[in-house]
Amino acid sequence: MKLRGWLLGRVGGALATILMVLLLNFVLFRLMPGSPDRALARNPRVSAEAIAAARVRWGLDKPLFPDQLVAYVGATLSGDFGYSVKYGGREVTSVIGEKIAPTLLIVGLGEIIALTAGIALGAWTGWRRGKFGDRVGTLSALILYSMPYFWLGMLLVTLFATTLGWLPTSGISTPGGPGGVAGIVDLLRHAALPIATIALGLIGQYAILLRSSVAEALREGYVLTARAKGLRDDRILRGHILPNALLPTVTLAALNAGYVIGGALTVEIVFSWPGLGLLTQEALQSRDYPVLQGIFLLLAISVVVANLLADLLYSRLDPRVRHGAAR
Amino acid sequence: MSGNVKLSVGGRILNRVSGGNLLLLLLRRWDARVALAILTLLALSGIAPGLFVGPLQTATTAEAAPLLPPSGAHLFGTDDLGRDLLNLTVHGARISLVVGALSAVITLLLGGGIGMIAGYRGGRADALLMRIADTFLILPTFVLALILAPILRELIGDQTEILGIRTTLLTIVAVIGITSWSSTARIVRSQTLSLRERTFVERARLVGLSPMRIIARHIFPNIRTVLVANGIVVIAGSILTESTLSFIGLGDPFQPSWGTILGNAQSAAAPSLGAWWFIMAPGGAILFTVIACTIVGNAIDELLDRDVRVRR
Repeated sequence: MKLRGWLLGRVGGALATILMVLLLNFVLFRLMPGSPDRALARNPRVSAEAIAAARVRWGLDKPLFPDQLVAYVGATLSGDFGYSVKYGGREVTSVIGEKIAPTLLIVGLGEIIALTAGIALGAWTGWRRGKFGDRVGTLSALILYSMPYFWLGMLLVTLFATTLGWLPTSGISTPGGPGGVAGIVDLLRHAALPIATIALGLIGQYAILLRSSVAEALREGYVLTARAKGLRDDRILRGHILPNALLPTVTLAALNAGYVIGGALTVEIVFSWPGLGLLTQEALQSRDYPVLQGIFLLLAISVVVANLLADLLYSRLDPRVRHGAAR
Repeated sequence: MSGNVKLSVGGRILNRVSGGNLLLLLLRRWDARVALAILTLLALSGIAPGLFVGPLQTATTAEAAPLLPPSGAHLFGTDDLGRDLLNLTVHGARISLVVGALSAVITLLLGGGIGMIAGYRGGRADALLMRIADTFLILPTFVLALILAPILRELIGDQTEILGIRTTLLTIVAVIGITSWSSTARIVRSQTLSLRERTFVERARLVGLSPMRIIARHIFPNIRTVLVANGIVVIAGSILTESTLSFIGLGDPFQPSWGTILGNAQSAAAPSLGAWWFIMAPGGAILFTVIACTIVGNAIDELLDRDVRVRR
């Protein structure tokens, strides 16, 4: 019973956040230089009929509140994000839709690699805190953490693509390249540096956080008990410390999803990777607000969902959360 | 009850470690000394860049050949227009640091104000404000900043200057402030919540001081140190955000920051031309600033933390 109440609360919170994002987007849409009307009229590739239809759909001939707000939320929920200014008046959803997969590929793989490596590095440095290995590991983590993603990417291109010539400098595939298995290899060769950039950029903060939670856990009584029982070091670390120390890292990974996405967008610009980041820059240059807002909405919803999932995962890892005990 | 004991200890510490005292404590640590030295050097070049490298070079005043690697005449090499990168980077310090610091001020004002009001008022106002803060905390605020910046710019125009800073940069300051106040608000709120229950605040309430006056006279002085510690981290974050926004193309070409220079390097295809020096100087400057701020922030945190532990 309690678990269901807890779940409902979480889902309700996530829905409230999405509603707030919609409200924010609505306000932004009206703040925009010129009314949404003018933004439509400024778009030479949208026909007069389409404009008239959109005006009715978005309720632009009615009062701002509540009619326009209701119409806007309704239209957005049914997937009507308006028309792109730059991309020939195409619907925003289709412009954005085709860019999702490339971004998901590099952000997803980068995040997985970063979590694995960051946890390993953090556990190792936390366990050996104060020793030489810890100093070096922590300093590297701090340096990686302080680098702007795009700068890291530019350095990697200069070194591994231009100077050493191991990997391609940009793009997602060789023009007129092979298909089939060779095509996948070609894709992975192009993806390697963007993924490495995102992974390296993220490893730092995961390692720093895990290190401090491992170091903190080492002071706990249960670690002393485990030692007294005569358990081997790696059993203590894996079986007793990590399950507890991982919790804040899980939370951070989810909380940071929004920040990661921001960084990933700039990585795509460095590598001309045809995903949401490159689209964002192009939309920004042509002041294509409908596309920008669509991207914001999409990313916001993904982040909210990611946080909801992290909450669920957290409650599995730590039963105290769902039973409402003090944390 | 144990909570209360801890709070009162925290409160005393906060009074104890403040102002010049904090600086002295910091200077006892070697890592903080190095970090503060780096920040001082950067601040000096930001205050008087002309003193070190002469006036900012532009496309018309640049004399060297384009994309020269580092040499005796040009320590950090030249960019695609033949401008000296040392000159650009030192002048960039002014823009990056000023925009970073101003954004941090706005962030702290917004976050501190909202946090203190939410914490002191409690109840519905608190619930609503923290709901908003949580939303901002998880949203991809960077993308929000990307949309807000051009909108603001079109609303106020970008042809004027205020105090020598072009309005393009001021919109960036505003946008960073608007999108990054939430973590400060959370920290300040939790401090305020504990201060509210302390006897001296209660006494002030009994005497009949207005809530605004209590916040200004009794709450604020006690969270100043927390704000300083948070402020250092916020500055680092603001500088990173500013450089990213400028890299994408929202900077001001007439007042280039480090991020703007890196954006130029990207559009000049410096990475694929192998012109490593074009990215080294401005990127290294960002890296050093952020690392130095992080080290100082950590040091302050540890100082406050250790005091709490010792006294417990």
